Order: sequence, then structure tokens, then C-alpha cells
Amino acid sequence: MSPIVVIAILLAIVLAAIVVLVLINRGEARFTFDIGGQAPRASGGGDNSTEKGFKNRLIGLSIFSGGIIGVLFTRLWAMQLVSADEYTKQAELNRTRTISTVATRGRILDRNGVELVTNRPSLVVVASSEVANNDVVVQHLANILGMPPIAVRRKIQDQTEGAQSLRTVAVDVSRRVVSYIDEHQYLFEGIHIEERAQRHYPLGTTCAHVLGYTGSPTSEQLEAAAQDDSDSSIRYESGDTVGQAGIEYQYESVLQGVRGEQTVYVDADGNVLDYATSIEARSGSDITLTIDSNVQRAAEESLAKIIKKVREKGNDTCDSGSAVCIDVTNGEVIALASYPTFSPNDFVGGISNDDWEMLSSEEAGNPLMNRVIAGQYPSASTIKPLSTFAALNYGIASSDSHYVCTGFWTGFGQEYGQYCWAHEGHGEVNLREGIVYSCDTVFYEIGKGFFLSDNKEGLQETFRRWGLGQKSGIDLPAEAAGRVPDADWKWNYFTEADDYARSWQGGDTTNLVIGQGDLLVTPLQMACVYAGIATRGNLMRPHLLKSVSTAAGSGSVIEYQSQPMLSVEEQDSSFDLVHDGLQGVIYEESAAQASHFINMKETVAGKTGTAERSGEEPTGWFIAYVPADDPKYVVASCIERGGYGSTCAMYVVRDIMGALYNEPDTSDEVDTSGVR
Amino acid sequence: MSSTGVGQVLYLQQLLPTLMLIGFGALIIWSASLTIPEASFPRQMLGIVLGLVAAYAVWTYDYRILANMSTALLIVDIVLMVLPKIPGFGVSAKGMTGWIRIPFIGLRFQPSELAKLVTILLMSSHAAQYNGRIETLKDYLKLCGILTIPFLLILLQPDLGTGLIVLVSGAAIIICAGAPRSWVLVTIGIVVLGATLVVVTSMTPGLPHVLKQYQLNRLIVFVDPSVDPTGDGYNLQQAKIAVGSGGFFGKGIGNATQSGSGFLPEAHTDFVFALMAEKFGFLGSTVLLGLFGWMLFATISLAQKVDSPFAKLILVGIVTMWSFQLLQNVGMCIGLMPITGIPLPFISFGSSSMISQLMSVGMVHSIWRHRPKAA
Repeated sequence: MSPIVVIAILLAIVLAAIVVLVLINRGEARFTFDIGGQAPRASGGGDNSTEKGFKNRLIGLSIFSGGIIGVLFTRLWAMQLVSADEYTKQAELNRTRTISTVATRGRILDRNGVELVTNRPSLVVVASSEVANNDVVVQHLANILGMPPIAVRRKIQDQTEGAQSLRTVAVDVSRRVVSYIDEHQYLFEGIHIEERAQRHYPLGTTCAHVLGYTGSPTSEQLEAAAQDDSDSSIRYESGDTVGQAGIEYQYESVLQGVRGEQTVYVDADGNVLDYATSIEARSGSDITLTIDSNVQRAAEESLAKIIKKVREKGNDTCDSGSAVCIDVTNGEVIALASYPTFSPNDFVGGISNDDWEMLSSEEAGNPLMNRVIAGQYPSASTIKPLSTFAALNYGIASSDSHYVCTGFWTGFGQEYGQYCWAHEGHGEVNLREGIVYSCDTVFYEIGKGFFLSDNKEGLQETFRRWGLGQKSGIDLPAEAAGRVPDADWKWNYFTEADDYARSWQGGDTTNLVIGQGDLLVTPLQMACVYAGIATRGNLMRPHLLKSVSTAAGSGSVIEYQSQPMLSVEEQDSSFDLVHDGLQGVIYEESAAQASHFINMKETVAGKTGTAERSGEEPTGWFIAYVPADDPKYVVASCIERGGYGSTCAMYVVRDIMGALYNEPDTSDEVDTSGVR
Repeated sequence: MSSTGVGQVLYLQQLLPTLMLIGFGALIIWSASLTIPEASFPRQMLGIVLGLVAAYAVWTYDYRILANMSTALLIVDIVLMVLPKIPGFGVSAKGMTGWIRIPFIGLRFQPSELAKLVTILLMSSHAAQYNGRIETLKDYLKLCGILTIPFLLILLQPDLGTGLIVLVSGAAIIICAGAPRSWVLVTIGIVVLGATLVVVTSMTPGLPHVLKQYQLNRLIVFVDPSVDPTGDGYNLQQAKIAVGSGGFFGKGIGNATQSGSGFLPEAHTDFVFALMAEKFGFLGSTVLLGLFGWMLFATISLAQKVDSPFAKLILVGIVTMWSFQLLQNVGMCIGLMPITGIPLPFISFGSSSMISQLMSVGMVHSIWRHRPKAA
């Protein structure tokens, strides 16, 4: 309303001025513009005074015209001389546009230089936002792209790439579609074809869980990038490729690169007339991983093969598993496999809703989940070396302790009796044989010893010293920490239960000491533990990054410096006993199991594990390091609901070792003794 | 004989700046034609040629005959205004119905341009009767009443800008014909009050809207240019940027980005001054204003020289028309006046304006040619 008021006030002032003028100038004065108020000379009579009147009126007209020119001149002086710079700046702003140019995303290579992720050119159909209101164009697009019109419209209305930006309708369109649209531009108003670099995963599903996948920047990423003002920060734009999981996410800032800028001169319709200054885009850096794609492929194939085999034997609840291989000397992850898997290529250019629902569904077994770092299971018998260390440390047992296993242990009384997995009993066993045969009775005794001792939580302390219950710090997102249960945890966890059920019982300790019950570990944590055992307590932090090479300029390479994760102190004699026991597992526990390892040149040390949950097939573990005398690699595998560790996970570990040393498993013996 | 002979029939001191203006205008339109397809240089030249032919006809015609033909002039005036409303003749352009298509030739013409000159002649023929002194209120009111007829008819086109020119030049004639000052002031007061009422009722929902929305918008934007930067405010902003960024020497014919890349709307017609100011800078602005000033003062000096009140009043009307169009057109480019679709005489692209303005020039020289020769 303000303009009305202003106009009204202005007009009212003019009106008032006129009224005042009229009141002052009563009388029959004409516009004679007499100078000095002189009366017209009367000498010439009427004619002469008319002449005089006209003369003065024309002077008035001169003032009118001259005044107009004067006012315009003054104003032009002010605009063209005084304020010219300011207007010139505005004119420049008008005609220049700065377009950011895309930086090529860095590649991801395996340790031998094999390309795991590259970029490839792709033709993309984009539309300006108003096309959504044009039914005819939407229908034409839908026809040529083979999409339902409603899907086309939804893509055009999608503002996730920014309200002002062009909307991506379809990626990887064929040359045929492109040429059709080009030839029929009049049908496709507001539709453009762009060539973009798309992520490409040449090995398909191989290494999927390590590599992760990409997508458009999420609103959180856009916000975070907008808030970060530093020069080095990434400026995301619509249509950018941004890591959303795995290495693609973890090393986003390394891979992304820095957008360039191109300043162009445009006309009023935005058509580019000429190019001005430009800042080159800086490509993202290439990343070399510690992964060996051959071992990786062997791990994935073995996982799939073994799970298939287990299912063929009638156990169709077995549907998932994982395996990991780490260089114990420096923490380099040689292979990291999780099953079921997915193809990162499905995410390129935006994943379809159907695919996303499938990939994130429970029925499909959560293929996106990386079970090596996020799968949490009871460790089962694979914990027994740590329990041994604890027993030796706290004086619960010594290297010459002897136990008698009858198959049924009644250390806490008959009513609290617990079976050893071998119901027939192991007879007389020492501590080493307790590891070799995985005799539960030996460890029930140790558990009882802890429960009755002053160091009730000596087991938990030992487990934690070895890194359980905490993240390893591997360079991947979404790692799980696992859980080491103790009295505090139990009391606070089961808040609904009565005080007796909430409090820590002897049975909890005897469960914990054999890795059952509430203990949760990830396969990666257990691999680290066995790497630590192999190196006598020097746990290196597991990592996937080997080196970064800048794509632009010098191509200089920055090597990742391996760093220790934990340094665990145990007595040398304890390590000797455990090492001896773990070799015994491989070569003594069962002949069938040994047959798979005696065909290798390298000696192996390891442990089986079978995590039990009531009403389910047990989850099988197998963890081993090789060579046993000078350890280089640790290999761990865990098959969910796969049965005994010796009948599922063991094969995967052996296949990975076969790939490591090029010594494929030639034995087809199957263990029937059910060793755990 | 030869040089004095030309000076006897042509008022050279007025003709010279006028021809220079036409030449400058042709240069401006030629430079506009390089980037604006609609600004056809040949068509503009055709308009100048047609205008010179028409000017020649007016020049050779003895204007004094018109002094006693006021009824005929009124009829011609009314016919010019009504012509575009007659089906078959009228053509719409830019929201106005003020165009006619001339049969057989197929050219479009805006009769209201011509009506400006006819109204000046009409008013002069009536006002000249009083010999420089309007004695009775009845005579004064009669003159005002006659002026109202073409004014209202132009408003019906609707063409507020041209209507204002007719009103102002007609008023100048009445004032110079010797109307008492107090009557004039009261009349102005009434007109201002009426205009205020029209604006306020047009802005108030529920009351009759005499002004169209686009006209209101232009007023609002004039008062507060930040209101609508993409509509009329945008146009004004772009015009000011074009003028200001011209600087002292201008950007030159080929480097004018505002007018050359389409940011300046109507760069060859309504906003042609902004185009000129961007390309030729303050230097060009000074030349243009200087030529206009020279031409206007030469015309006023002629009005001083001639004896006949009829001739004087015609010249007063023509000078006022040119001055006001200059103020209106240049003023709107630099934010001094609201935006209206008034062409800059002799410069803006378009034949109607060019022909009418050259006929006015012809009239000036007809007055010189047919002056009573000194004894």
C-alpha cells in the first residue's frame, strides 16, 4: 500500500500549493512573466501589449524547455560520470555467469593396480523444472524412454539436486534416444542431453562391501558442505557423485576433487556468447587399496560356494556369511568379503526404488550390510585362546593343569550341570589339549575359577585388553563395537527381569569363557585378535588404504603408514602354549580337518568355533594364521547358521589360503566328528 | 540569391539541428539493427523518406488556410482517434488498439501520433481568435472543453502517454493564448485532484478501476523501483544500468552488452535513449540533448519572429510536444519519469512517429515560408 500513500501525499502537496498560489494571486494576472513586475508599456495600445505578452510567454516556454534539458543533463551527469563505475559493475554482473565444471572423481585400484572403480562417460537426459507442467513433453519423454509418465514427472519434480538445477530424468540413455530427441527438439522443449562421467565398477559385485556405492549428495552432505567455509571444503552441486558407503564414503574428500569454474558471457536468455576466465577443475585422487582382487574374488566365490553347499545339504536357513584376510605384520586387509552381496553399478545414476527396497530388505538378507565389520555374533570356541591367557595370567590355571572331562560338568552342582560339546567326554586333558580339542569342561573349570576368585571379571578385562567390545578403527564406515558382557551390563540390560535373573551368575561366566551367551564380536575383531596372537601381542590397526596418488600434476604418491592398534602383554610361555594348541587344532583335532591343511607347504594354526543359539542352526567360525612359525596372514570366516565351524567356515579359510599361496585345497574329506 | 533564397523558404537554424538529429537517429537505429532483428534499418530509412515527403507536402501547404478550418480539424482529429476502433482497420499491438492497417499498402500506422499535430493545429486555430487575451470564462472553458475531446479519445485507445502529451501541449497553447493565471491554476488543481482520485480508486478493491493494472504497476515501480525487479521494475533497472554503464565515452557500437545482448527491453523503440547512452556515453547524451536544445530554441525564436498569433501558438504547441516527449522518454530511462510507451522524436524506431514528427517540422518551415514578408 505504501506507493499509493506516497502518490496521494505528493498529489495532495501539489494541490495545496496550487490553492495557496491562487489565493495569493487574486486578480486577472496572466502568464506574462514580467520581469521585475513592470507593467506592460501602454504606448502601443492593445496590439503592443499582446506582443509583449506573447514575448514573455515564449520566455516562459524557453524556461520550460531549457529546464527539461537542464534536469536531464544533470541527471545524466550524475549517472554517466559520477556513478558510472557502479552501473558498469551491474552491467558486468548481468552478462557474466559462472558455471562450475565437474572434477573427475578419483579411481580406486587394488594393491596390484587392478581397476576396481573407474569413470565412464554416460549420456543423461535432463529437464528444466517447468517441464513437469507440460503434459505433452512428459508424455513424449515417457514414450521414448520407456518409463511411465508419472515416473518421468516425479523425476522432474524431484528437488534433491537443487531447486534451480536441471532435473535428471534418465541416465545411460542410448544413442538412438539421443538422436531422436535432437532431431525432434520442437517436441522436447526444455529437455537437454548432457554427457556426464558415471562411476563404473568393472568387476561387478567383486569387492562391493569394501568399495561401497555412490549417489547424489544427501541433504545432510549438502548442508555440511554449505556450512564449511574453508577453501579446501567440497562444494557439492546437484548431480554430483558422492560416496554413500564403503571406501567411496570413507575417502570422499580424497576422491571428490575440486570443481573448476568457468566464467561465460551470456545474453538475456542465458545463451553463452563467449568464454571468459576459467579455473581448471582439480581431479580427485586415485586410491590404491590393500585389497588383492584375486584373493578377494576367491574369498567371495568360496563364501557363495560353501553357503550353497550347506543349503544343498538341507540347511536352508544358512544364507549369509563373511570372511576377512589381514596381513598381520602391518594390518593391510588383503580380502574382505560379505555374503549376500550387491552390485555398486546398480546405484550409478540413482538407484530405483524397487532395487533399493530389495537391497535393504530382511528377506534378501540385507546385502548392503558388511558382515565383516557390522555382523555381531558370539565368538564361540574361537575365544578359548583368550580365556587361556586370562587363566594363566590370573593364576586360575597353569601350563600343567589337568582336568577330567566326563562330557557333563557339574562344577556348580548337579542341578547346574553343563555338557561339553563332546557328550562322551574327553577323559583326562591338560590345558593345551583343552584348546586342541576345544574341551568345554577345561574352560568351565577356568570359568568357575574366575567366578570364585577375587578377579571375578578377569575374563572380561582380558577380552577388552585384546580389543573386544571396541571398534578396531578400520577405515570403513558403520563398524560395530561388539559387546563384552559383565555384571554391570547384565543388571542394566535386563531391566524387566527380577533381581536374581539380572545379577551375574556362575553360568554367565562359564558361558563367557567358551564364547557363548551374551558375548558379541565381529569377524574383524576376531581376525585382529588372532593377528595379535600370531605376532605375540602386536595388533596392527586393520586398514584398506594403501596409498593415494594425486591425479593432477606430479602424480606424487602418499603411502599409508601402518600404525599399531594395541600392544598386548602376555607371558612368552602363554603364547608358546596357545600357539602350540592352535597348531594342534589344525593337525590333531580331526583327521578330516587336518587333511585340508597337510596338503599345504605352510604350517597353519587356527581354531574352530560354533556359536549356538536355541532354535537355530549354529553359526560356524574358523580363524587361522599362516605360516604358523612366521605368521604373515590371518584369515577369519563366519557363516551364519552354517553349522559347525569345521564343516563350513573352515573351507572358506582354506580357499583363501589357497589363493594366497596358490595352493588349492585338494582334499575332499568331510569332518563327521562334529569338532567345534 | 541562392543562399538567401533557401533561407527565405527554409528556417535554416531550425532545420540544421533537426537534420543532424535525424542523422544521429539513423546512426543509432543502424547500430541497434546489428543486434536486434526487429530494428530493420531499411524500414527506418523508409520511414524517414516517407516523413520527408510528408514534411515537404506540409511545408508547401499554406498553413494559414487552417486558421479558419477548426471544425474540419476537429473532425479529422476525431476520425483519427476512432479509426483504430473500426473493425477492419484496427490492429492491436502492445496492449493498445491504437494501430490501423493502411489498406493496399499493408503498413501499420498509429493515428494518435498524427493526432498530436492535428490537436495542436485545432487548439491553435481556436485560441488564436482571442489575439493573446482570453477575456471571458466562457471562452476559456470552451477551449478547455475542445481539448478534452482528443484527450479523452486517446485515453480510450488506451494510450495514457500520448494523452498526456496532447494535454500538456494543448494546455501550453491555452496558457500562451492569454488565459488568466488563476483560472489555469484552478484547472490544474482540478486535474490533479481528478488524477489522484483515479489512481486511488484504481488501487482500491471494489471501486471502479479506470487505470489498467500495468499502468498502476508502472506508477508503483516509479515510486519504488525495488517492488518488482522482474517486471516493469526490471525494465527500469536495466535501462538505468545501460545508461550509467555507458560512462563518458560509451562502450562503442559493438560492445554494448545491455542493449546488444537483450538485457535492455524495447532497446530500439521506447528505450532507444538508453541504447544510445550505453553506446555513445555521456558524450552522446550531451550531443543529443544539445541538438534537441538547439532545435527547440530555434523553434521558439521563430515563434518570437512571426507576428501571427496562430503561427505562434502552433509553434508553442510543437515545442511543448517535443520538450515533453524528450522529458518523458529520456526521463523514464533514467528514473525521472514513470514508464510510458512514448517514442523519442526523430530517434525511436517506427514510421508513425517519424512521419508525424517530420510533418511537425514541415509545419515549422511552412510557418517560416508563409510569413508576411517584411515591407
